[in-house]
Amino acid sequence: MAVKLMGGMLEMADIVLAKIQITINLMPFLMQGLLMTFKVSILAILFGSLLGFVLGVVRTLGYRPLTAIIGIYLHIFRGTPYLVQLYIIYFVFPSFGVGFLNFDSFTAAIVSLSLYTSSYVTEITTAAIYAIPRGQEEAARSCGMSKAEALIYVVLPQSLKMMIPPMASIYVVIIKSTAILSIIGISELTRQGEVAILRMPGDIMFVYGLIATMYFIYCYPVLRFAKWAEGAFGSIGSVQDQES
Amino acid sequence: MKDPIIRIENVSKQFGTLKALDGVTNQIQRGEVVVIIGPSGSGKSTLLRTLNGLETVSEGNVYIDGVNIVDTRVNINKLRSKVGMVFQHFNLFRHKTALDNIIMPQTVVLNRKRKEAEDVARKLLEKVGIPEKAGNYPDQLSGGQQQRVAIARSLAMHPKIMLFDEATSALDPETVGGVLQLMKDLATEGMTMVVVTHEMGFAREVADRVIFMDGGQILEEATPDEFFDRPKNSRTITFLSQIL
Ligand SMILES: Nc1ncnc2c1ncn2[C@@H]1O[C@H](COP(=O)(O)OP(=O)(O)OP(=O)(O)O)[C@@H](O)[C@H]1O
Ligand SMILES: [Mg+2]
Repeated sequence: MAVKLMGGMLEMADIVLAKIQITINLMPFLMQGLLMTFKVSILAILFGSLLGFVLGVVRTLGYRPLTAIIGIYLHIFRGTPYLVQLYIIYFVFPSFGVGFLNFDSFTAAIVSLSLYTSSYVTEITTAAIYAIPRGQEEAARSCGMSKAEALIYVVLPQSLKMMIPPMASIYVVIIKSTAILSIIGISELTRQGEVAILRMPGDIMFVYGLIATMYFIYCYPVLRFAKWAEGAFGSIGSVQDQES
Repeated sequence: MKDPIIRIENVSKQFGTLKALDGVTNQIQRGEVVVIIGPSGSGKSTLLRTLNGLETVSEGNVYIDGVNIVDTRVNINKLRSKVGMVFQHFNLFRHKTALDNIIMPQTVVLNRKRKEAEDVARKLLEKVGIPEKAGNYPDQLSGGQQQRVAIARSLAMHPKIMLFDEATSALDPETVGGVLQLMKDLATEGMTMVVVTHEMGFAREVADRVIFMDGGQILEEATPDEFFDRPKNSRTITFLSQIL
């Protein structure tokens, strides 16, 4: 009886040791993947935010044709799956024969993910600008500020604060979207994991578990920050309108 | 000895099918205090807002100090800084302290150095009676205090004309008097003022002229004594009987 128990415990210890061994062996390989995931998501959130912010601001200026064009842009990028966008940019664009559209996989990944990100950021920016009571701009203009000055000195500083929580949430969405990039051969975390599984098919569950944990370690601080920021800066939905 | 600083010529303002202003013509003299009264929706705010270009006119001309602000070639931003406006809901910049609310427009619009602007701001906070609130944000101020800051912010631009749109309507009864006193002091100093208010005591005591509006038109104007004691227009009489 006792011997049997001992045997069982030894077996357990063996399994745990084996898993630790796998983890140690795979870590450098998976870390490379995480690094790529980090790189792609940072670049996408950077370019996507810049583009989305500009589009979001332009959309509120009231130039009809521009507003309409941005509206179509948003419909395209928010109304289709990211996977399809990625396919089109990576597989279809090169067939146009236009030199600069002949993206390598990394560029295609950054371009598509940035455009996708920008569609979210545009919406956030617009909402955050409209969330500022009209009276703020009117007061600024009554002091003699131009439309642009009112925007820069009065409206946007207040909007930017409100954008922080939703932006953090979008960042997490983008991090998770990078997993799709494995299909065009970007060696990000999911792709590295799949390669690892090919090498050790017996440990599928464990390897995916590792990958999930690594995504979680990257996303969790961002999510916590989003939650904190919501408390500190308020969310766009709950902003009180002075104008009743 | 006529010296009109504001000339309103046959001004109409259309909102869709609604005529908010309907052929308004009037002149306001330098140093004059004009009180506009009238029922809700009669176009008082709209008239006031056309005087500093917050609202464009559909027809007619508005001359401020000899310049036609309806003329699209005129840069009305600079001009607007000469026409201060105080709002019912104060509209202080919510991301700035009381002091910075008064400093910022000076540095942005008048290109004053921060030090100079701060001196002006502190003097004005003194003048409006709340120097100790310099560091408070708008949401840390009472309604009356916010309105004092808003008045100081306008005065910092050295306006030639001050417009007040129901400046005391959103205040607690006990703080109304202080703000009215401040407006009275301004009038005494010779400021040209156009005041929309429901405070008939103020109108009687401070106004040089009272204008009654209804349906986007000026129906009657007279000295306060004449206006309140011997109103002529039947709608004026009805209105006065309702509020007095
Ligand atoms: N931006 C706008 N769009 C459409 N209609 C408007 C707009 N601003 C004002 N109006 C309409 O124009 C009319 C005059 O409005 P205005 O605000 O000048 O009235 P008021 O005399 O100031 O009323 P109150 O005493 O309630 O402030 C109203 O019928 C109002 O609904
Ligand atoms: Mg009004």
